[in-house]
Order: sequence, then structure tokens, then C-alpha cells
Amino acid sequence: MSDQGIKSRPKYAPLELDPAGRHHLLVVEGPALPAEALAEGFEPAACETWTVVNRSALLPVCVVDAQGDSVRPFRSNGHLFSALEERLARETMGLRLYGAGSEPFLWDVFRIAEAAGMSRQEVRLAHAGTKARRVFCVHCRTYGEGVTTSIFTCAGCGASLFVRDHFSRRHAAFMGVQVDAEVPGDVPDAEELYA
Amino acid sequence: MIASGPIPVRIHEIEQLSPTLKRFAFEPLHGGPLPTPSAGAHVMVTLRHEGRVMKNSYSLVSPPESRARYEIIVRHVAQSRGGSRFLHQNVARGDVIEIGVPGNLFPLAAKARKHLLIAGGIGITPLLSYVPALKARGARFELHQLCTAEEAPVFEKLLAPHAAGEDIFIHGNGRAAFDLAGILARQPLGTHVYTCGPRALMDAVVSSAAALGWPPGKIHRESFGDASGGLPFKAVLAKSGIEVQVADNQTLLEAMEAQGIAAPCLCRGGACGECKLDVLDGEVEHRDDFLSAEEKASQKFIMPCVSRARTAQVVIDF
Amino acid sequence: MTLQFKPNETFRRDFTYRNSSAAILHFPFPFPEDQYMYSVNIEPHVKGGASPAYDHVFDVDEHYVAECRERALVLAEDPKRCQVLPHMMAAQWDTLELLMESLAADYPEHFSLTKAGDLWTWVNRPLGIHQSFTFGKAETLPCPPFEYITRQAQGDFTLQDQREDNLYVDGGMVTTQADWSLEFDIGMSFHEWHGPVPLAHEKGVFDRALKYLLRLQYGAPVRRLNWTMTINPRLDTSPENYPVWGPDKASVTPENVGQKVHLRVELQTLFRLPRSNAILFGIRCYLASLEEVARVPKWGKRLHRVLRDLHPDIQAYKGLLRFREMAVDYLAPLDDGAELSKGIQSELTQL
Repeated sequence: MSDQGIKSRPKYAPLELDPAGRHHLLVVEGPALPAEALAEGFEPAACETWTVVNRSALLPVCVVDAQGDSVRPFRSNGHLFSALEERLARETMGLRLYGAGSEPFLWDVFRIAEAAGMSRQEVRLAHAGTKARRVFCVHCRTYGEGVTTSIFTCAGCGASLFVRDHFSRRHAAFMGVQVDAEVPGDVPDAEELYA
Repeated sequence: MIASGPIPVRIHEIEQLSPTLKRFAFEPLHGGPLPTPSAGAHVMVTLRHEGRVMKNSYSLVSPPESRARYEIIVRHVAQSRGGSRFLHQNVARGDVIEIGVPGNLFPLAAKARKHLLIAGGIGITPLLSYVPALKARGARFELHQLCTAEEAPVFEKLLAPHAAGEDIFIHGNGRAAFDLAGILARQPLGTHVYTCGPRALMDAVVSSAAALGWPPGKIHRESFGDASGGLPFKAVLAKSGIEVQVADNQTLLEAMEAQGIAAPCLCRGGACGECKLDVLDGEVEHRDDFLSAEEKASQKFIMPCVSRARTAQVVIDF
Repeated sequence: MTLQFKPNETFRRDFTYRNSSAAILHFPFPFPEDQYMYSVNIEPHVKGGASPAYDHVFDVDEHYVAECRERALVLAEDPKRCQVLPHMMAAQWDTLELLMESLAADYPEHFSLTKAGDLWTWVNRPLGIHQSFTFGKAETLPCPPFEYITRQAQGDFTLQDQREDNLYVDGGMVTTQADWSLEFDIGMSFHEWHGPVPLAHEKGVFDRALKYLLRLQYGAPVRRLNWTMTINPRLDTSPENYPVWGPDKASVTPENVGQKVHLRVELQTLFRLPRSNAILFGIRCYLASLEEVARVPKWGKRLHRVLRDLHPDIQAYKGLLRFREMAVDYLAPLDDGAELSKGIQSELTQL
């Protein structure tokens, strides 16, 4: 049982700086810039870069990291997002925002950018790292994080959910629909697909 | 609302705003409300004089809630081929003319967090319909009108009803002291810029904004759209031998229908493919979205609902 | 046409919904030919045409009161079936104006609208509503304008914002849908929300449809028909409630197929809205059982042929796999193989 015909999946490409932008801010889900998320010739120096280093005693000020790049580390994704909201509220036209990380991270970043008035033309996203999915149970509206299988059990309503390829940028999640709604109990074997 | 063709209107009022600017107010000839006008909309005005037909588009300056009356402002251009000169010199109160249903290719952006409006001279007209709509929505905006010193009082008066407490600026020195780059650079994220006026001003606004990193989707310039007509041509229907004369202001499909020929069609907009016909001779000017690039290049097909002939004649297998 | 409303019909539990003979002839049968494939089957939405369902701007039929009651039930169970993103307020008022003016003009015996400046008075006799309000001031209505008026109309509606050469579904009243979720899809672009539809993308159907719709003009609405099949006359076949209606699909037998399996047709209309420049997408849903459809001989025969020869990917996407063969077997005896006229007309003036 599959959904592979769905054309609404975002397509990701390694990040290239947009030469039309006036200033550039790159946010990374992790302590270092992931090489696979950056196009050849990407100049980190042209960007202000924020990273996530999961340590509570960190102060979010610029440091020079192991690669010699100047970065500003945050304690968690949430910590970075809260600073991003504040920063975008004070920004002017001409900014380009770049994101590198897992799919839920990327679209959480996009949601913040959109709320601040940015459009798809001003934000570039590159997928790096795990392909695990955030899944939205369409029946009870509970999110499941880190889903790697084609079918999983919703922690909210207990339904066996088929993980569709239909993706919502607003929810930053894929749709989960009960797989045995027509004949309850008729649940196929799950496949490990999204690791 | 389903429109059934152009709207006859009577000229209700003419006001001379300046030596070259006149404001015209129209009311529907047969009573009843006019279609709800969109902020930024224009109407095609059809004027007939001594056998000549002139069609010009003008921005509506009346606010969206005005359905009893539409208003336009027309600049008398010295080199005018007809429309604006005719309106200024040959049209009087009580005259009946024809206008099309308002169309809008210069709409306000619903998601804009701020609207930056930059106009020059007569380019102020669409902005005059924007301002009441923006105020009704409680939207943030900033308006810059560039003009000559002589015309500054005219535009001040036009903008006066909306100006109190708003960021509305009239620059009577034209572009001389106008810090376009500075104004664009300081706008917050989510601002859209709209420009209307002389081509040089619009080009400058668009290129400066782009150079300062504004994305294309947030830069808007006024457009009345491509002319839907084109050069007249003749279509020969090979199977019947019927010759169809296609005038400059009708499509091939319309011309065939006008001669009583029931040509196949469905969407009438170049998208569905129903009207596709084979071409035996002549060169097609393709304006559709249905044929592939190869099909268009082959010159073997035509979509009569939107496309035309580049040559004086085209022969169709129909 | 004098409408006899059937206010107590139900679209759930005991499913008392039925079509009168007049309603059957009013049904917009969707197949102009003996086989079906996706296409950009858009045409101008002018009054009249191949089906009586086209005779009015927004069609009201004998099920009107019952459908409005059913909508109210769905919304009470799940208020998120009606959502409009904040930037679409002008489009909400555009929709209210369009629906009120159209219904009052087309059905003066049922609806009336009077205006004194921006003070409007709306009367909806079938629903017993008499409402005065100030146009443009949402606080003068009992609920936001889009919800207010779409609660009094048959069929679903979405609002699409046009920006960056694309359309975004930024609002909707979605209680009679054929299996899509407003809560999940709201905010998506044209190709994104059509993502799940098979085949059509490769054929370029959505690219062409989008280009066409971006040029949609005020005063020149368009329409098309879409179709699927539903078990029982159930309007709410939402993904949200799939666990509730899903089991119906496996309940079809050769004995009940004619009564249970319904042809579900959407008359989709698209209007450019003035103040917002948005597009209102109306999705008017009609249901008729196979038995009812087959009372029109041409329709019964053509439906047999369409279902028999339907592309497997479309069978799967439209959810027909469990009962399609039973439906084909039910209709086969009615099909004498005679040549049928092109077009969707019933060819009958009465049943």
C-alpha cells in the first residue's frame, strides 16, 4: 500500500546563496554546518550562522567553531526559534533566510519566517540528517515525532496510521490516516522506510 | 455576479482638476448597482466618434464601496491618438459611453504586512482606490506621490480626505530629492511595494527594489494587461472553402461563431484543448497554454479561442 | 420551479435521503462520453446548459434545508471544518456579497436582500432567518461573514489567495467533502493540495488549469464537474471521520448495491472576487444512488461503461476497489450496448 504518486513533497537542493539578497542568515539544526546541505562554493563567511549545541550553560553569542567559522550557538531548536522570531521582527526587506536540518526543523523555521512576513522566495531550505517524519493524525490531531515506518500507532487515539506522502508545510508534518478503517484489524506489516 | 457584456454609462460629472487633468464620474445608464470595483481595478472605456472606435483603459479612482458611480481621472496627453484628447475635448455631461466590467491586474497583496505606494503624476490613480481600501482593512501603508511643483496642490487636494494621521508624502520636486533607495532599504520584512506612473519611474522602483534584495513577488507595477486583440487576418476553412475575416478586436473563434460556424470549444481560454484545429498553411501566433513547445514550433496546430495568425492568411483543416 | 424542501432527510445513521423524480432529472450526470479520463473540463459558468443544475448561479434544490442542518451538525462536532486565515477578511465579505446577491436574485421566493447604504437586511425564508447587519463590520453578524453565509448554502467552498503566480487555499467551509482535510490542507498551493491525485500531474492537467485560473476574470466565472462514489448518501466523507464511514465501504453486497452505492458529483464553480482579488471555489455536491441514476436509461448504460473500463489508478484513487465490480454487475443488465448521444443530457423531460 503506497502513496508514491504524490507530487506535493517538497524538493530540497543544497543551499546556494541568493545573490539578490542583501543580508543572509543561516540556521542549522546541529552544532556544525552539514556538508551535504551546502552547494559547492557556498561561502559560510557571507552568512550569519546560528547553530544548535545542546548544552544548557551556553550563552548564545558568536564564537569561532572547530571549522573556523563564526557561529552563534543555541541550547536547543526551541531556543533558536525564539531568538529567530525576535530577530525577524526587527529585520528589513532584503534578508534571505536559509535552513539546514531535518524536515520538521526546516518547516518550523519556515512557519516563523512566514509569520514575520517572509515568502517562499526569501527562504531556502536543505534537508540534512534523518529522514524520520513528523506525522499528523488527521483523526485526532495529535503529532507523532521521529516516525520511521510506513505504519505506526497514534499515541493520541490508538489508530494504526498509514504515513502518507501528502505533506503540509504549515503543520511541518505528513498526514497519517487510519490504515484499517474499512476492515478494522486488517493492518498490513509496517516497513522501515524513513530512517 | 455573471457579467453579460459591456456596461453603458452616462457621464454624470466632469471636473477640471488642473489644465491637463479631468475627473469623470459615470453612472449606469439603466440604473442598478455597478459591479463591485476592486482596489487597483481598471475599466476599458470605449469611445465612438465619426466612425472611429477608441478603446483605452483607465484606473478607477473610486473606492470599492462605490457601486452607484465610478470615477476616473484622465491626463490629456498632447500626442494622444484619440482617447484622452476625445475625453477632454468632445465629451460632455449626459453623454453615454460604454465601459467594460472592471478587471484587476494590480491588486493589493492580502498577506502584506505593510504596503509601500510610489507613484508619479497620473500614476496616482490606482493609489486613490487603494487608500480607502487599506484604511478599511486597518493596513499599514506609506504613500509617496512624485509630481511637479505646479501639480503638487492638485494631488494634495486629492489625497486630503485620507491624509490625516497617515504616512502620505507629496514630493513636489519630482525625483530630484526623493531618496528611493533609502525608503526601500528601511522597510520592514513583509512590505510590498507598488509603483505606477511614467515608465522611467516604474523601472527605477523595480530595479532599485530588486537591487536591495526585495523578492519579485513583493514588487508590483501597474499593468492593464496584454492587448487581447492583434492584427486582423483571414482564415480559410479548407473543407468548406469559407473565408473568415478576423478583426483586430476579436478572436478567430469569435469570428467563426459570428459567421454562424459552430466550432468546437470549451474553456475559451487556451487551456483545455477542445478547440484544437490543424493548420495547413500560414504562420500561427500561439497564445495558448495547451500545445507543447514542439507542437507550437511545428506550425501544424492552432487554438482558435486565443491564438492568431502572424501571416495575413492562415488555412485551417476544418 | 417550485421546490418542495424535505427538511427531515438525514445524511447519517438512518440515511433517509432520497431524490424525487424531479431531483433525479436535475442531477448533473458527469459523463459526456462512454469512458472517463482526467482533463481540464472547464467551461464558462453561464446560466443554463447541458444540465438543469446549471440554471442558477448557486443551485438550491429540495435537499437545501436538510443539508444546512447536516452542516450545522458537522460544525458542532468539529468547528475546524470552517477556517479562514486572517489575511482573507476582504474575501469573506466578497463571498457574503456574492452569495446573498445571487441567491436573492435567483430565488426571490426564498431569499431577499435589501440595502440602505451599508446597512443590509437578509431574509432566508426556508431557514427562518431575518438578519440586519452592517456590511464590513463583522461584529454585527452572529459569526464571521464567510461562515455565516456558507452555513446557508449547499456544498463546500474554499477561498484561494492569488500571489506569486500561484493560488493558495487560505480558507474554507468543508463539511461535504470527498475525502480531503481542510485542517491539513489549509495554506497549501495549487499543486500541493492536488498532490494526491494520480495521473493528472503527468498529463499537465494541473499546470494548464492553474494558468487558466490565474487569468480568471471578475464577472466571468467558470465551472466543471468532478465525480466519485460514496456508500450511503453520506455527505461527510472527511478523512477526519474515515474510521466512522470507512466500514460502509465493505458493507456493499450484490443485493444492496443499487441502493447503497451512490454516484457523487461535484459541480465546481470558480468566481473571481472583487475586493480581495481572491478566487471563490464552490464545490456543490450531488448524490444519487445507482438505482436512481439508472432510472434515466442513457445514464445507467453510460455509467456501466465508464465503471467497467475505468483506469485502475483512478479506481484506486477514487476508493472504488471494494465495490466497483458489484456496481458494474448491477448495471450490466441495463446496458443493451446501444449507441448513446454525446453530452450529459438526460434526454428526458420527465421520469
